[in-house]
Amino acid sequence: MTIDFGAVLPYLPVMLKALGISIEVTVLSFFIGSVLGIFVYLGRRSGLAPLRWLAHGFIEVFRNTPLLVQLYLIYFGLPEVGINLNPFWSTLAGMTLNNAAYTAEIFRAGIESVPNGLVEAAGALGMRFSQTFRFIVLKPAIRNVLPALTNQFIVLFLFSSVGSVISLNELTSALADLNQRTLRTLEIFTIGGILYYLTSAVIAGSSRLAERYLFRW
Amino acid sequence: MVTPLLSFDFGQFMPPLLRGAGVTVGLVLASGIAGTIIGVVFGIGRSAPLAPVRWLASIYTNFIRGIPILIILLFLYYEIPLLFPYATFSQTITAMIGLSVYAGAYMAEIFRGSIQAIPRGQLEAGEALGLNYLQKMRYVVLPQALKIAVPPGIGFLIALVKASSLVSVIAATDLTRAGRIITSQNHAPLATFLVVAALYFVISYPLSLLGRWYERRLA
Repeated sequence: MTIDFGAVLPYLPVMLKALGISIEVTVLSFFIGSVLGIFVYLGRRSGLAPLRWLAHGFIEVFRNTPLLVQLYLIYFGLPEVGINLNPFWSTLAGMTLNNAAYTAEIFRAGIESVPNGLVEAAGALGMRFSQTFRFIVLKPAIRNVLPALTNQFIVLFLFSSVGSVISLNELTSALADLNQRTLRTLEIFTIGGILYYLTSAVIAGSSRLAERYLFRW
Repeated sequence: MVTPLLSFDFGQFMPPLLRGAGVTVGLVLASGIAGTIIGVVFGIGRSAPLAPVRWLASIYTNFIRGIPILIILLFLYYEIPLLFPYATFSQTITAMIGLSVYAGAYMAEIFRGSIQAIPRGQLEAGEALGLNYLQKMRYVVLPQALKIAVPPGIGFLIALVKASSLVSVIAATDLTRAGRIITSQNHAPLATFLVVAALYFVISYPLSLLGRWYERRLA
């Protein structure tokens, strides 16, 4: 069979629609997961030892097991205890928890990167803890973690493809489906790969712009 | 209803799971080694004096790092039989090729970073001593760069352990696929995949500890 990209172009709208689902589940899990990640980070710094252990255990478990197995547990395992989630909610739940574990570590590194002298100086100026955190720690911390957060966002986006295994109709699942129908493997996966690559590149590019314009002083 | 974890028959199902874990460890080791070799070559390629070599190396590393590993695996799974209709390839080999291509791109990026971390002055000193490009790489840059690359390299190896679970999708019988096969027999996915997750943790967590230990030693 000769290579003919024209033969698969009519399927581009189907692919773009599926890419939309990939992006939707990524954006949702990134934001919910990052907020959860702040709480996990706070848990790790808590004065209560059991809370610290719980947060630490959560981070280690989710960072040291594959997303695919986590999705199998949620999608196939949870119905055993009466919790039934459809493919979208299962993927969203798995990616959210996964992202929380990773962002908790990113926030820790970012906040620890703000020199203690700055915090002490703010104290010497009579700033309250909330003021110190808001005006002194937060902005440099966000700027410091922005590259790592962007990286995590891209990794999360790429791993949204795992949702296809539990039959979420995102881009990878659409590509596998179109491949079966057209048997044009090279063309389908080349276009699919380019769609993934372009989306990652756009995310990376906008983060660099944000770094340059939003966080300069 | 039986308590989920009690419904798992360890005597019957542990041997296939451990065999699957063996395949996972073997795949990660093989593609980790292949990926490191590819990574060193392409990492050096990205700082090569010849511009086309640099472009080629950066197209490979950037494109592969911008697409999901599952896409690489599915592409190879469907494309290899089309290209070589008479080859009898086992899925484990396809999985190994896919994971190596994937690992190579990330390792190349890690090596690029650690090569760049070597101060320029050292290269200029090498130049002053009359070393050519390859000699400078061999005697000045690489011995130091490889050391810097160890902690992020271990970090990526952990990611590779987890990414390797996706080879189950192209029917390679790793730990995850062993788990799927068992659930089709015992209909106890919760208990089975908890055991599978625990086995992944046993493979991956020592690597995490090793990475942290090495980083502390470097500091």
